Amino acid sequence: MRAPHPLWTLAVICALVSTSASAQFGPLGSILGKARSAQKIGEGLRNINEQEEIKIGGDLAGMLLGAAPLLKDPAKQHYLNTLGGWLAQHSERPGLPWKFGIVDSNDFNAFSTPGGHILITRGLFDRMRNESELAGVLAHEIAHVVRKHHLQALQKGLREQSLNEMRNYFSVSTGSGLGDRFASAMLSAGKDMYIRGLDRDDEYEADRMGVVIAARSGFSPYGLVGVLQTLTATTDEKGYGLHNRTHPLPLDRLAHLDAAMGTRFDSMQGLVDDVPSFVTLRNPPPIAAPPARTAKPKRPKRP
Amino acid sequence: MRSTRVILIAAIALLSWTAARANERGVVIRAGDLFAEPFVDAAKIGPLASNQPVTIIERKGGWLAVEVAGRRGWVRMLNVRLEAPARPAANTAALRTGSTGRTVATGVKGLDEIDIRNASVDRDQLAQLGQLAVSSDDARRRAVLDNLKEAKVDYLKPGKVK
Repeated sequence: MRAPHPLWTLAVICALVSTSASAQFGPLGSILGKARSAQKIGEGLRNINEQEEIKIGGDLAGMLLGAAPLLKDPAKQHYLNTLGGWLAQHSERPGLPWKFGIVDSNDFNAFSTPGGHILITRGLFDRMRNESELAGVLAHEIAHVVRKHHLQALQKGLREQSLNEMRNYFSVSTGSGLGDRFASAMLSAGKDMYIRGLDRDDEYEADRMGVVIAARSGFSPYGLVGVLQTLTATTDEKGYGLHNRTHPLPLDRLAHLDAAMGTRFDSMQGLVDDVPSFVTLRNPPPIAAPPARTAKPKRPKRP
Repeated sequence: MRSTRVILIAAIALLSWTAARANERGVVIRAGDLFAEPFVDAAKIGPLASNQPVTIIERKGGWLAVEVAGRRGWVRMLNVRLEAPARPAANTAALRTGSTGRTVATGVKGLDEIDIRNASVDRDQLAQLGQLAVSSDDARRRAVLDNLKEAKVDYLKPGKVK
């Protein structure tokens, strides 16, 4: 038998030292421990596994729900989940544990977090003209999750965090000091992301993917176009502020969709605009009501 | 049984279209044709000039039924820009930001930057969200009921924006 190559011997010794160092080697272990805790996440967030992605997304969804709780309307919530679940089946990640919720806010907005958590506001739900519009919004959010746009945005804020802390966050369920440090850094980066918005090109990509996911699911791909048109015609910023500041201008999004869609969908048959199950649930606000100064909402007077 | 159901669904759908936000206003952003029906190979009723104002009567797929200068017909949705409805007075709660020129509402209750900045993780709410999820079978059952037809469609490449 040949003696093992010296490099192999060295490798084995190193492995032994690094795995058992903290337990057996006293001072040497603490040095190695410090070196490890000084290691940065760097690009590490891009490479997390699905369970880890779901954990991050759960905390971010919990944070958004801390800002606006779920609407107490089981019929609407169930409907949203059957629609969203159907759309998600036509994405590249049908196996994620997709969850959809309407939050009790009159604002107009939609959010998604890693791992398949999608939240829309009651104000958005009630302002949809038809089901294909809602499908377009949900499909846009599904696309953000499928393409992991949030992880890319979070990565920028977290690359200097400790890798060790992140590992603790993922491996320990609650109450680990190291894990909690990562959790608070991650939440802070997440808040920045939801306040500043995602990358502009990621929004255009989610629009292009959203119309296709809607069409794959049997809906008119022009639902999302209708929603963007609503936004272009909304001069009153009340309730639209955060959405508008975190997305490219709706006219630009329409121009990008127009350029990408062209006549691609002209030959598609049997696409659905609206269905009775949605019509009965929607509760649209009075159209173009003047700013709420009077107690009674007035009907708009238009030619 | 089945046919009455179909008729009922069709009636409700028709009602929903007509009851939808009627009479939105728009402007033609690209000169083209007014069509008799919402199809590219439908008969042409006449030309539409750029900047022509239209009144939107109905939406169907990628098309808008519009009234324009006494004529009624269909125009491609993406060839029309929606106009803001006329308002009696400006919103005095809004102020202009210098950098973007876009208006920002103040003192609005809803879900804004401050709400997010101050939020902490609500585990109970997160657990409730988890309870809402439905199985893919349930999602499919409803889709079949609503007559949604699956199709194979490739993702779109970015186009050239003028």
